[in-house]
Amino acid sequence: MDWQVLSSQAENKGIRLDPRTKIFLLLTISILVVGGEVSGIMIVIKPLTALIPFLLLLSSGKWRQAICFTTLFTILFLCELLILPAMGTSGFLLLFFCGLFGRLLPGVVMGYYTVSTTTVSEFVAAMERMHVTQKLIIPLAVLFRFFPTVMEEYHNIGDAMRMRGIRIGGRKTSKMLEYRFIPMMICSVKIGEELSAASLTRGLGAPIKRTNICQVGFHKFDGCMLLYGGLMLVLNLFRAIGLLW
Amino acid sequence: MEKTTNKLQAKDLVNVGIYAAIYLVITMILSFLSLVPIFHPLLTVICPIAGSIPFMLFLTKTKKFGMITIMGVIMGIVMLLTGMGYYCLLTGFVAAVLADIAAKSGNYVSAKKSVLASGIFSLWYIGNYLAVFITREAHYQHVIESYGQAYADSYMSFYPNWMLPVLLAACFISGIIGGIWGKKILKKHFKKAGIA
Amino acid sequence: MLEFNNVSFSYDAASTSGQISNITLTIPEGQVVLICGESGCGKTTLTRLINGLIPNYYEGDLLGSVRVHGDKISEKALYEIAPVVGSVFQNPRSQFFAVDTNSELAFGCENLGWPEEKITARMKEVVADFHIQFLMNRSIFALSGGEKQKIACASAAMMNPEILVLDEPSSNLDLKSIHELGKVIRLWKDQGKTIIIAEHRLSYLMDLVDRVLYMRDGEITDDMSIQEFKKLSREEIARMGLRSRLPIDFKQHYKTASLSDEQITMSNFYFSYGNQPALQIDSVSVPKGSVIGIVGSNGAGKTTLARCLCGLEKKSSGEIHMDGKSYSSKKRLNLCYMVMQNPSHQLFTEAVLDEVMLSMDGNEDDQVTAEQILMDLNIETLKQRHPMSLSGGQQQRVAIASAVASGREIMVFDEPTSGLDFRHMEEVAAVLEKLQQMGKTLFIITHDPELIQRCCDYFLFVENGKVKWSEHWNEHSESELAAFFAEENGL
Repeated sequence: MDWQVLSSQAENKGIRLDPRTKIFLLLTISILVVGGEVSGIMIVIKPLTALIPFLLLLSSGKWRQAICFTTLFTILFLCELLILPAMGTSGFLLLFFCGLFGRLLPGVVMGYYTVSTTTVSEFVAAMERMHVTQKLIIPLAVLFRFFPTVMEEYHNIGDAMRMRGIRIGGRKTSKMLEYRFIPMMICSVKIGEELSAASLTRGLGAPIKRTNICQVGFHKFDGCMLLYGGLMLVLNLFRAIGLLW
Repeated sequence: MEKTTNKLQAKDLVNVGIYAAIYLVITMILSFLSLVPIFHPLLTVICPIAGSIPFMLFLTKTKKFGMITIMGVIMGIVMLLTGMGYYCLLTGFVAAVLADIAAKSGNYVSAKKSVLASGIFSLWYIGNYLAVFITREAHYQHVIESYGQAYADSYMSFYPNWMLPVLLAACFISGIIGGIWGKKILKKHFKKAGIA
Repeated sequence: MLEFNNVSFSYDAASTSGQISNITLTIPEGQVVLICGESGCGKTTLTRLINGLIPNYYEGDLLGSVRVHGDKISEKALYEIAPVVGSVFQNPRSQFFAVDTNSELAFGCENLGWPEEKITARMKEVVADFHIQFLMNRSIFALSGGEKQKIACASAAMMNPEILVLDEPSSNLDLKSIHELGKVIRLWKDQGKTIIIAEHRLSYLMDLVDRVLYMRDGEITDDMSIQEFKKLSREEIARMGLRSRLPIDFKQHYKTASLSDEQITMSNFYFSYGNQPALQIDSVSVPKGSVIGIVGSNGAGKTTLARCLCGLEKKSSGEIHMDGKSYSSKKRLNLCYMVMQNPSHQLFTEAVLDEVMLSMDGNEDDQVTAEQILMDLNIETLKQRHPMSLSGGQQQRVAIASAVASGREIMVFDEPTSGLDFRHMEEVAAVLEKLQQMGKTLFIITHDPELIQRCCDYFLFVENGKVKWSEHWNEHSESELAAFFAEENGL
């Protein structure tokens, strides 16, 4: 069951980053890569920013993903920059998709890195350090806890449907959506009620300042990555106010 | 246990998390369709319709202001964490607050207001498309300068600017349709099953 | 000290059974109390009144008072009750909040704002007490049901509550885990905790509890010491609708029905999860039309075998030969039917009758046939009900009815009696017999010795993904089974 929104177990491989650093980098990438143009200094800033998820994947020992991502990004980026302008109007659709996927890819990869290397407890601890209200932390923690359960229900129901001969092209195709999602919702809600009751008997939501045994904090590597991301943002700012072209 | 208090309690917050998980699972399963390019714009129809069903169920557990708002913000946070950008944080918050106001105006019991809330809430989904328009707008001048007007025009013809209000309307209308459908399913399944 | 003073309660939600009336009861400190009775008798309601979920979470009409050390539970918030009353619930899947074991243990203490050092120190003690070093720092999703339940107990113990409430804690566990659970209760008992256990399974508790409360229709009709309870005759226990107090003695019971000569042969069943081989069966034959018990420890591959049998594992190889035909994995989807442990996964429609007719081809006389099937299974009165509003046992029957309607020859049951009381277990057994009379071949994965002695007439014993032995009732199988259950019970 790899259907977890955040991992539930620490992967001991590689250098660990504080979740706050990861969120900062996610924002940096969203601002620079997703929103950026491809001219002037951006030709340098964009790939340098896209380098962040690459470095992080390497640092966590995900070699294969790192190489796949870089190759794909380079192809898309070069296409947009060099090849497509030479193709003329006919290439616009391709350009559009290169542009779109080239922009979304680093963010998605950074998202993948964040989600797969952060444990739920780290995330909650980091949110608490940032003084995020419990009104957001509690539902988020429940969401991450509950997501795999809902997925499991979804798969179980899928098995049952195959056994009943309800499949695309088979009988009752039109009702597939109803048969699949509604039992899933009913089962999930019932489990959810039990979960809710169980957590309340353990003092969830007490009007007391919550403590957390999970250790999060900034280290050297966090410093490096924060500086690097910050530098990119500053360069972009200079460009915006006209100090750089 | 005091039903009179308007403060959100742990039970309510846990409920938000549970329904957010159900909502997201459904949305994400359907989002895999977007790997086929033609489905990319169509998701503004499919996802709100399907998502409105758990949303309508969620509304039956909502009695206080703030729960819908939190749900919207959570959508934004999850989109941010999964690398879909930060626009959904904004659209999620705005759409959800408005939906919350709509639902509150019906005291969280009015069927019509619930359907309306479902339509408004579905607007958060546009955040996933904003990047396309905003980026391209910034890009447009650059494309004209580099490749000429003709090229730039054809480039803009995929997802032309008028598509933004169209997609927005699609989200809203689909949210309403989903809401009406959700109401039916509430009666047909959830009430009988004892969970609504 | 725990006092109930003339307590009555009924749920707001009309569909929820288990209202109680006029309960007056005093439980002194350090007593271990077993609450037993048939499903729906109000056992669970009683436990919820102690841990405060009634009236704080489940709403309804509450009369009378429940007091712990003189304080009224109903006037306290749940977080104030949490450090005094610890709770363990039935379903190991739904009672953990965190996703890794360390955070789960710390969760309650964190909520109450204990300082970090104090939590870590307490965690060390609890981990040592429960011998769960090997479970720490792990994802809870990766744990077995028994391990999850152990973590649930340890989490309840973290805040060191004086009172512990367990609501059918063994329902979803195999015998080995139940034995482990018994050890946990022993530990708490030695620490002088007051323990209240609502439970169907009795055998693991007989040397632990001090007092037995028997409930019927929301009232406590018997309140006896364990010595008195042990003196009750076997017949009286059965009349009370309770499960056996003692490990089952297979000798007296087994059926000696003659088995069919026709065989169903499973050949070349191989399956692996990644590189981990999970199932390796070259060839095994079972008599057609018999009730085959699939027995073995947890993780031996019973469920994998069942899933492969039903054709649910796409990647599994292997064929079934029956009546001179062979069935590949894909064809078996229409030959076999699995009744899942949680049958609510396999019910899709809005009424029981529709559910059964969904399995049919759409002929005119479908409805008549469907109603006949419902009649056979004694659920014709439920035909207009929404399947999801039914109890687990009723849902199971609806699932069986739909399998019968679709004409499946082979049916596989995954733990059909887990968490059921005696009467419901008997009902399941009766249904299984009926299906056998219809000529179906039944495979039953079970940990329930009472069901085995009552129904099964052939056995597949699974160990490490292989069939170690397969036989009908004889001296060998009987002694093997007895040895297996004795070991699982930790005797």
